[in-house]
Amino acid sequence: MLDFFQSVSDGVLFGATYALIGIGFTLVFGVMHKLNMAYAAASVGGAYAGLLVLKVMSAAPPVLVFLGAFAAGGVLGWLVYLTCFHFIPLSSPLATLMSTVGMLLLIDEIIVHVTEGMPQNYPAMFDDVMLRAGDFTMRGDLLLVFGVAVLCMVALMLLLYRTRLGLATRAVSQQPVAARLCGIRLEQVNATTFIITGLLGGIAGALIGASVGTLSPLLTTPLTVKGLIVTVIGGLGSVPGAIVAGLLVGGFENVLQLYRGVTERDLYVMLLLFVFLTFRPDGIFAPKGGRD
Amino acid sequence: MLELQALSRHFGGVRAVDGLDLNVREGQIFGLIGPNGSGKSTTVNVITGLFPPTTGKILFRGEDLAGLPTHRRLRAGIARTFQNIRLFGQLSVWQNLWVAQNSAEDQARQGFFARWLGGQRGVRAEIAQLLEFSGLAHRQDELAANLAFGEQRRLELARAMAAKPKLLLLDEPAAGMNSEEIGQLRERILKLRERGVTILLVEHVMELVMGVTDRIAVLNFGQKIAEGTPAEIQAHPAVRKAYLGGDTA
Amino acid sequence: MDFYFGLVQIIGVHTLLGLSAYIVLLTGQVSLAQAGFFAVGAYAAGMLTVLAGWHLVPALGASAVCGAGVACAVGFPALRIKGLMLVIATLAFGEGVRLFFFNFDYQVARGDIKVGPLGGEGFRQIRFFPEHGWTTGEVMLFIWVFVVAAMALLWWFDRSRYGSVLRAVGEDELAAQSVGINLTAVKVSAMTVGGAIAGVGGGIYAHYTTHIEHTSFNILLATFAIAYPIVGGLRNVFGTLLAVIFVQAFLIEGLRFLGDWRNLLFGALIVLAMNLRPSGFLGARRRA
Repeated sequence: MLDFFQSVSDGVLFGATYALIGIGFTLVFGVMHKLNMAYAAASVGGAYAGLLVLKVMSAAPPVLVFLGAFAAGGVLGWLVYLTCFHFIPLSSPLATLMSTVGMLLLIDEIIVHVTEGMPQNYPAMFDDVMLRAGDFTMRGDLLLVFGVAVLCMVALMLLLYRTRLGLATRAVSQQPVAARLCGIRLEQVNATTFIITGLLGGIAGALIGASVGTLSPLLTTPLTVKGLIVTVIGGLGSVPGAIVAGLLVGGFENVLQLYRGVTERDLYVMLLLFVFLTFRPDGIFAPKGGRD
Repeated sequence: MLELQALSRHFGGVRAVDGLDLNVREGQIFGLIGPNGSGKSTTVNVITGLFPPTTGKILFRGEDLAGLPTHRRLRAGIARTFQNIRLFGQLSVWQNLWVAQNSAEDQARQGFFARWLGGQRGVRAEIAQLLEFSGLAHRQDELAANLAFGEQRRLELARAMAAKPKLLLLDEPAAGMNSEEIGQLRERILKLRERGVTILLVEHVMELVMGVTDRIAVLNFGQKIAEGTPAEIQAHPAVRKAYLGGDTA
Repeated sequence: MDFYFGLVQIIGVHTLLGLSAYIVLLTGQVSLAQAGFFAVGAYAAGMLTVLAGWHLVPALGASAVCGAGVACAVGFPALRIKGLMLVIATLAFGEGVRLFFFNFDYQVARGDIKVGPLGGEGFRQIRFFPEHGWTTGEVMLFIWVFVVAAMALLWWFDRSRYGSVLRAVGEDELAAQSVGINLTAVKVSAMTVGGAIAGVGGGIYAHYTTHIEHTSFNILLATFAIAYPIVGGLRNVFGTLLAVIFVQAFLIEGLRFLGDWRNLLFGALIVLAMNLRPSGFLGARRRA
């Protein structure tokens, strides 16, 4: 029984990273009604780029690495926007989709080549700290992961609901044509959305690296799939949904790993997706409004 | 032919259609008018099966349509046109008519294989007729998206006719037309009646409605406020009030 | 010469993969599940020739049936999912199939050795072609018989009413329903045909590579499948063929100059192609 709660707890804490990835997918979908398949790859890429800080300053504190990942994520996000959404007419959804898949493959391959396929160690913080309550433990680094993720989510919500940029973003997601007529520059909002989700992604990638201890390009595919699953379960376009779903998937996955082992675990996450698609295709929080 | 009994369709708190009773006789051209938002299009959508009614019944030739999906209703003999034209833009004029030949009669006539994978020979004559009727024969290979607006409207109508309907629901077919085009439309509608098609005409353009219908029902806020011949409706005080508001001498 | 035969073989198999995505794409469904049907066909055909001693041709027939069956089963729930959600769901399905084969063991002893799929190690010794003395050239021709047949079938569909109906559904489901088209029948049938073609492709793939494993049927393959008709355009089947030739020739040629940076090239290629020609090589007929 304790094992169960332990794994739920660990899973939910880690699930905060899935939530961030899910938010990235869902925000772009909400604003542009498009899927950015390259998102998880860009997040991992951002995390790798954070390691460049160590190249420059070999004894840099982990915080700087995380900040590097944060910044790199934003840059990558903007790059994806440029190559996949800026020039391609938005009326060609297949073209933008395919383009993001192309970027996914490109980023993945670049990572593989630059690192020559070797997994890279990732600095962690508080990994030797453990909070205990009897036999129940909470790893310090996981708590940090959770905490940083929560901070990011709060910052995002504040941005969306308390700033003019956030207002413009929400306007564009509901009525792009009308938003333009009100003087909102669509390209600016779209590009900014990508930069912001990129920043979040960079942090998410870094947090994952920190809690697992290593980064490997093999991370990209399962992260993409899980991020998309989180997005769908939470409801395409709903940020709160992605948050809840991320934590849910994290906990669920870890519990299943406890009982069925790692190899079968991912199959069950798939199954969770199909259950939701069958019974609640709109997700936990079906997005409000929406066009047509 | 078509009977609506206490038909209602609610969207959350909005009563788009509210307790509508309607009886369209075979061979009639029946008009449905009302201010914007009065529930005309919703009525058409419910009749064709796009939404189920919240309450009430739809009887078509005596049979209750409840639960019958849209494509089956077409086969039973109900076809419609769309207010904002929904042609298959990437298909040619000819192809738009071809894919619409789904009436029960067409299904019975050719075997499955011939109908789906066979060539065009069997249906050439019929489609040529439809093209002739709509004046589109010279444009038959053009992409529907490349047609002029008037031509698109004619194709929309021809496509509905390709299904050999017994009941044709026209959703604001005259929108955006000039007087000459409206006259031509009027002629076409009358010709359709001669061929035995019953027509329910939802329309705003009074020139058309008053000039072609046998009977008119007026909706306001989802309810029927008046029904009668065109002359009766034009004189009806409730109708005036609905359109113009307040008291008018 | 063998090198070129090998290239033509790969082009053939990938064309089948692309065609399976093409017909589904016509109905407006963007499916990343084709690699999954491909995998099912591969394992099915391999098991039948290796474990049950079947001749390849009936084994490919079984691949087609298996691929079609799984696709049909996927087709029904897919009806309830629209647009981008379908992309995600089919992606997850494809990954699910891969994970299934990752965990799949079925070995039978043949003399001293055990043959059959073995989880992560994959399925080795699918040696129908070498055992029956086929040359590379003969294998290539064999593959292309199927490719030509599939192209002919889809070309025929395209010119028939079915083809126009598929495209009508892809363009406007609401209008299609309203003119009497049964959406379920059309979408599921397209998915099923696609599954059959992918199954045959997979069965052939298993035999010319002689060794398959779960990693071959990953997201990259699913991407190839859908990329071909998107990059090639949906006007007709030749667009898909052109895209396959374009991509594979670039990749293989690129192999010579860029070593194993070719996958990187693939990604960049797609991004470039989509920016330059969003509606594909042979896209929809020009709007006036």
